Amino acid sequence: MSDLLEIKDLTYRKNLRVILDNVNLNIESGKIIALLGENGAGKTTLMRIITGIAKHYKGSVAVAGKEKEAERKSALSMTDSLKGFSDSVTIGWVRDFYNKIYSDFDKEQFEELLKFMKLNYDMKLGQISRGMREKLVIALTLSRKVKLYLLDEPFSGIDPMSRKRIINSILLWKDEDSTLIISDHFVNEISSILDEVIIVKDKTIASHISADEIREQGKSIEQYYEDFYQDEVSE
Amino acid sequence: MQFQDNIPIYVQIEKYLYRQIALGQLKPGEKVPSVRQLAVELTVNVNTVQRALNQMNNEGILYVKRGLGSFVTEDVELISQKRQELVEEALSEFLKSTAQLGLTAKQTLTALKKYIEEEK
Repeated sequence: MSDLLEIKDLTYRKNLRVILDNVNLNIESGKIIALLGENGAGKTTLMRIITGIAKHYKGSVAVAGKEKEAERKSALSMTDSLKGFSDSVTIGWVRDFYNKIYSDFDKEQFEELLKFMKLNYDMKLGQISRGMREKLVIALTLSRKVKLYLLDEPFSGIDPMSRKRIINSILLWKDEDSTLIISDHFVNEISSILDEVIIVKDKTIASHISADEIREQGKSIEQYYEDFYQDEVSE
Repeated sequence: MQFQDNIPIYVQIEKYLYRQIALGQLKPGEKVPSVRQLAVELTVNVNTVQRALNQMNNEGILYVKRGLGSFVTEDVELISQKRQELVEEALSEFLKSTAQLGLTAKQTLTALKKYIEEEK
């Protein structure tokens, strides 16, 4: 069986600058994976390429065996910052929009998630806190029935209680055979739920390893991650 | 429950469940919470919980009823054996820490006796 996500010899340039250089990555289904790297390391770009938003790269990207950008787009669900929505629209309105755009959107599941996040349909985007907004983004993303979910820094700048609730929603609602990739520049808050870790550094994948393998060396994931950047300081 | 991040989490889940069984919080023949329930309760991955349960099933301390989940063994002998192992593990940790303070096993024993008497 082929892997859920297969990236081969991927190179991406923007304005003549190399952003990602010769990336190779294979990811199986049914995993929770952290995509770690400093700000600007290329995590978001990698996600945007997988999704098909960023184009004109060299190499190949396949999600569930599908290489065409449009087909990939419908096989995965990535967090959207909701910047395209006006502050005056309600959560109910956003729900209807998602339901129209995505044929795999599960309204009942969204309702359950919304309840779990303690949000309701009448709330307006302009009125909710940062943590609530992030919870809404996660609820929308997880309500699509797909095999691959990409969460781009879902925990940046939110309070610990919101974070905890988001993590629990992932544990409760993620299908057993779907894979979730979470990008972050800080791993502590999610380290207990991870199967694998991917570290992006120097424009490519510096490491792709299982969480158990790291811990069997007696290291924490945070320490393992920091060691990659430690070398740089001492060089 | 707080996990140590430098020890495989499935190992820590096993220990957590062993302790519950040894203390009788999970009784012989009792159903173990579902994989997802444990995952949320402990804030860990479903795969990690599954790995811990598989291991415990292999050891015979748990057994699977098809479609119903995992249950604690009714083999009381095995449970008390496991409990003994936990006690020995705790003692070994204790001895390691007093050794780091420069105490031999004998000195530790003397110190421990004195400590217990004074605590009374």
